[in-house]
Amino acid sequence: MQQTTKKWLVTALVLMLAVTLFAACSGNSNPTGNQQQNQGNSGNTNTNGEGGSNDSADPKQMTATIKVWDWDETFLQEMIPEFNKVYPNITVEYTIVNPNDYLQKLQSGIASGSDVPDVILGESAYRGQLFSLGVLDSLEQAPYNFDRSDLLDYLVPLMSSPEGEIVGVDQQIAPAGFAYRRDLALEYIGTDDPAELETLLPDWASFIEIGKQVKEKSGDAVTMLPGVGDAFIAIRGQTGSEYIVGDDIDMTARYTEPLQTLFELRDAGILGKHELWTPSWSASMASGENIFYPMAPWGAKWHVAANDPDGSGRWGLVKAPGGGFTRGGTSISIYKDSKVKEAAWAYVDFMYLSDEGTKISYDKFGFTPGIKSFYENNTDLIEAGSEYDEFFGGQNLTKYFIEKIVPDVTGEPQSKYESIVDGVFMTLYPLWTKDMEIDAAKALEQFKTDVQNKSRSAKVK
Amino acid sequence: MRRGKLFRNQATVWPYLFALPFVLAYAVFQLFPVGYSFVLSLHDWNGIGEKTFIGLRNYVDLFTKDPLFYKSLFNTIILMLMSLPVMIILGLLMAYMTFNLLKGRRFVQTVNFLPYITTPVAIGFLFSFMFDWQTGTVNELLVRLGWTEEKIYWLQDPFTSRIVIALMIVWRNLGYFMTIYLAGMTAIPQDVYEAAKMDGSTGFHTFRKITMPLLRNITVFLVVTSVINGLQLFDEPKLLYGGWSGSAQVGGPENAALTVIWKFVDDSFISNTQFGYGSAIAYALFMIIIVFSIASYRLTSGKGDRT
Repeated sequence: MQQTTKKWLVTALVLMLAVTLFAACSGNSNPTGNQQQNQGNSGNTNTNGEGGSNDSADPKQMTATIKVWDWDETFLQEMIPEFNKVYPNITVEYTIVNPNDYLQKLQSGIASGSDVPDVILGESAYRGQLFSLGVLDSLEQAPYNFDRSDLLDYLVPLMSSPEGEIVGVDQQIAPAGFAYRRDLALEYIGTDDPAELETLLPDWASFIEIGKQVKEKSGDAVTMLPGVGDAFIAIRGQTGSEYIVGDDIDMTARYTEPLQTLFELRDAGILGKHELWTPSWSASMASGENIFYPMAPWGAKWHVAANDPDGSGRWGLVKAPGGGFTRGGTSISIYKDSKVKEAAWAYVDFMYLSDEGTKISYDKFGFTPGIKSFYENNTDLIEAGSEYDEFFGGQNLTKYFIEKIVPDVTGEPQSKYESIVDGVFMTLYPLWTKDMEIDAAKALEQFKTDVQNKSRSAKVK
Repeated sequence: MRRGKLFRNQATVWPYLFALPFVLAYAVFQLFPVGYSFVLSLHDWNGIGEKTFIGLRNYVDLFTKDPLFYKSLFNTIILMLMSLPVMIILGLLMAYMTFNLLKGRRFVQTVNFLPYITTPVAIGFLFSFMFDWQTGTVNELLVRLGWTEEKIYWLQDPFTSRIVIALMIVWRNLGYFMTIYLAGMTAIPQDVYEAAKMDGSTGFHTFRKITMPLLRNITVFLVVTSVINGLQLFDEPKLLYGGWSGSAQVGGPENAALTVIWKFVDDSFISNTQFGYGSAIAYALFMIIIVFSIASYRLTSGKGDRT
């Protein structure tokens, strides 16, 4: 009898131990948590009327406090005082949130009803999910009354919710071309002039041909692009289409051709074996193993100059073979249950749309806004160049992006499945780099299977 | 008389009052979430919109339509089987050697315990740098020693990626196993050893016949807690595959490193936002952990303990 009791006691104890440990772990399941959360104030001492806005005759005098979650503190520190010069009674409370945690933090904030920003940022990696949550206001309605034709044309699908409403404006445009090492291009391709390179590399077939010559001349030491991941960013971006409709994901129609091009590049041996964002990938920019790197305007600072600090003057920018594409980018939206919509819109409008605000951010940070009027009204500013032009051998980067790359960029509509497709690609391409026996057809099958496994509610074909 | 009654009442109230803070905290932070997540597991919910009650469909989907769940469970068990025996055997041996050290025992103890208190993010960094196929020190070493000509793609091959993860687990936890065994060894009375010595037992014989049997309870404890922890494996594989950078790969090559908890996190927060389905995964894992805990307890504890 005693032994039976003991047996039960021990089993119960083990069970309790299991429960406690499990509970402790599930509490820890947040992988990164809040890496940094600094709350700052704009420095505006006027905090009257917190939480509400009034409808005084002059909108510039409205009083409110708005919450912004952003990751670029330098930008905020410079720009919020500028904003307060125009809207002195709007207090901006900002929280620095890492883009990797942004969506998760936002979801917990909304679910618990605790802390939700009025101005919400949508980085390209999670934008599809954010847009399909139904938490953003349509900017085409009152009180915003934004006109979608003000946006650069390619941005419309990128800023639209699955219902087709415009729910964001662009933080800064992210059309991309190829940054290239001028020294290597001159040595192996025979020219470092962007215009000549454009003519030499109009499409991927010519890119492959020249790539093979480069490979031969350099004795296999120099490849055209750092890896399969980089090549795919360009190829995928050039072929954007609406392949996700509701719960149907048409992978075959979307990716058959891009994968064929990708595997032709790989099989020609003109791609390096670097994985995106790895230390060796970063180091390759300075070491000179690859000529081209996909780059959007933000990449001049964050990629090229950051990874090749001594490389001033030896970089250039050229349109990618096959045309422009987009890389990254961030949307700025307004929370649909915000209590201070007018003030939040005043902020978004000043920072990202108004001539006044965009001029300052272009001047100080080289931020190129997503509205047509900026480029029509500020030709002199664009002609004058921006901070990283020197780094790129004196080439006017903004002008090149706007004139040569933007015209044929297409934006892909955003969907919640987009980040699954992205995630699956990130997991698969290192295998495609490694295993030469996988061809385009096999890769497509793998791609489809993995996307289907991860999106049970969808129909993948 | 009245005072006495009051005193008696107080005597019965006080213990409850003192226990109340813990009980309340437990109810709010443990009991409620445990119950709530079960309720969630019966719903379809993205964390923001309306909850839709769908009964057991999440569980049915999980067990019938989600091959990745089985794969992640398989991976988790494989990783546990790859690391647990090594930790038990090495931990015991190292504890035995350390226990018999005449000098520097504390130093050896500390050095071995350090990885256990190192933050997992740092360990993730360390291993992903070491095993990077192009710039990693391991490949560099292998090539310089002439053991291989082609650099090994450690992190992108299903088999080698599991080896690296098992290695991370062993490296991190060995010190803990060793310390627990050491504590157990210290508790064995010296006269048992002396008696054994008198009877002519030496070295390995003493270790096998005296030390190991007397440490059985410790082993049971370590195995059971490790199985529970092992089934919740998450930090090591996640951090190895870029948990510290923007380009997180989920699951590693061919999902060979996807563990159940990683799948749970991914389905709830990263690739999908299915809180209900995530809760169903958590509950399924909970049941599996119960089964494994009982099984591992029965397997490791001897017959004497169980009757």
